[in-house]
Amino acid sequence: MKLLIIEDEEVLVDSIKTYLTEEGNICEVANDVKSATEKISLYEYDAIILDIGLPDGTGLEILNFVKMLRKDGGIIIISARDALDDRLTALNLGADDYLIKPFHLAELKARILAIYRRKSFKGQNLLTYDRIEIDLDRREVRIEGRLLILTKKEYDMLLYFIANKGKVISHNALVDHLWRDEITWAESFDFLYTHIKNLRKKLSEATSKDYLSSVYGIGYKFI
Amino acid sequence: MKLLSKYTWVSLSVSLVIFIIGGFIYFEAISYLSDQQLDRDLTEEYAEKVSFIDVHQRFPKPFEFDSYEAEFKSIGQAYEAPHFVDTTITAHSGNKTISCRAIIGTVRFKGINYLMTITESKEAARTLIQLVSAITLILIVLLFLALFVTNRLVFKRIWQPFYKLLERLKDFSLTGEAKQPVRASAKIDEFKELNHAIELMEEKARDEYQSLRSFTENASHEMMTPVAIINSKLDNLIQDESLSNTQLGQLEDIYSASRRLSQLNQSLLLLVKIDNGLMHDVAEIDLSACLKNKIKQFEDILQSKNITVNLNCLPKKIKASIYLIDILLSNLISNAIRHNLKGGEITIMLDEHMLSIENTGSGESLDTHKIFERFQKHPASEGTALGLTIARNICLSYGFKLEYQFAPPYHRFYVLF
Repeated sequence: MKLLIIEDEEVLVDSIKTYLTEEGNICEVANDVKSATEKISLYEYDAIILDIGLPDGTGLEILNFVKMLRKDGGIIIISARDALDDRLTALNLGADDYLIKPFHLAELKARILAIYRRKSFKGQNLLTYDRIEIDLDRREVRIEGRLLILTKKEYDMLLYFIANKGKVISHNALVDHLWRDEITWAESFDFLYTHIKNLRKKLSEATSKDYLSSVYGIGYKFI
Repeated sequence: MKLLSKYTWVSLSVSLVIFIIGGFIYFEAISYLSDQQLDRDLTEEYAEKVSFIDVHQRFPKPFEFDSYEAEFKSIGQAYEAPHFVDTTITAHSGNKTISCRAIIGTVRFKGINYLMTITESKEAARTLIQLVSAITLILIVLLFLALFVTNRLVFKRIWQPFYKLLERLKDFSLTGEAKQPVRASAKIDEFKELNHAIELMEEKARDEYQSLRSFTENASHEMMTPVAIINSKLDNLIQDESLSNTQLGQLEDIYSASRRLSQLNQSLLLLVKIDNGLMHDVAEIDLSACLKNKIKQFEDILQSKNITVNLNCLPKKIKASIYLIDILLSNLISNAIRHNLKGGEITIMLDEHMLSIENTGSGESLDTHKIFERFQKHPASEGTALGLTIARNICLSYGFKLEYQFAPPYHRFYVLF
């Protein structure tokens, strides 16, 4: 996957780049509107990560530019402004998703992959990981053809884990993902453990393999 | 006490005192003048009588000197110089006494001294004094009436602009729209100035508030980026497999702190947004359906704390921002859960006029004055301490009232539509 990160905060760009760069992924960076438009007109990207507030203009200009060139790549906005109007404007202009700062890199990655899958596999929206097959349209999980019944939270978690496979995901990132717009509680972490325990049990019973390993004190890793 | 009645009372009492003093001076002056006149008459009479006795060598008969009555009394060789006295006589008709002025002097007749007393009635002077008193009384009554009428009619009209300004000040809201200036005050300088001063003050207050608001907004936005950096650095840092358990524990603490920071920021931004009234997702909302959804959303936590929910809803629809009403219900219900006891209960009632949410909890009442203030948080509370402030501000922005009541063992928050 080829990605373009348009963001003027260099330290943040650094982190995003480190997290997203892996086998098969290339990340390029632009710090302002000018260099971003140059890159977009020259190269093709699978996904563009776009900050709204840039030193020489707004990300919305770039959004317009991309749409004008009829580029295929997905666009995900990252912005500190969570005004409903901003969000609607961006989505109306053709952005595929809108993520509010601060966010977890695991969340960003999951969303980029979701956009990428939607854009590249039109028609058959299937995700395969090892022996796990997921029909994204019907929200069904099968293991070697056998249906595995998961609750909504377990299903969400599984997708999140697969998107961030091989990475340690913090409890905080998981809680934020599962209870996105809801009020979270001190008890939310207990609920998280329960959901994880159930998912782990269901997966290992169906595959006789433990995909999830817990990392002491901080989170989980999906292998 | 109103200015109008205060002023009326003062002016009336002052006039009353002045009239009483004036009446007294009148009385004294008239008495003095009439006494002077009487004394002159009596002196003349006295001289006439003395010369009459000299000439005729006898005492005069009463009818020979019109109204003046004279009495003679032998006093031998004693002598009394002529002098005036105030005295009374009893009228012939009955026992009515009449006050009189008299001159007493000595006449010598046939070698014997006689004490001569000539009296004259003061009746005429008394009539005059009565008349003056009556006039004074009538004037006082008239003045009272006049003052009342002026105060009622004229004063009220003159002070009209003042009351309008007062209303305007009472209605003043930092977030509200600017009001039309009060026009009627244009005639009176003081009110003109007051009006002007109020307009300036309102403008200044709004400006200051506006800049404070945009400061909060900008500060919160600016803070989001550093928090995003902290989060992203942590997300990368925990990938390092050489980290020890202690280090990971510390990283988890940093995660929690940055999470709190971002929640706090979001709450502050939300408050600014509510104040700005910049919510465009206004629609007709079925509150009872919303409440049912909310309860479902909180099922996990309700189960884990073993809390029973009694939902008692009549249909009620309001026009408001879907987003804000969602936050309002979330905050109130989560508040009722957060401060509840294990195995406690929550009773939600909704009708045309009111939404009330009651929960069991600690046995002590919360401080009704402080709970809606920013950052007033119970030591046991884990929230951002802005939840109730946000709830109240949402209510205010739609003209609802959010109130708290403690009716042991229930803590009750209710929204009056």
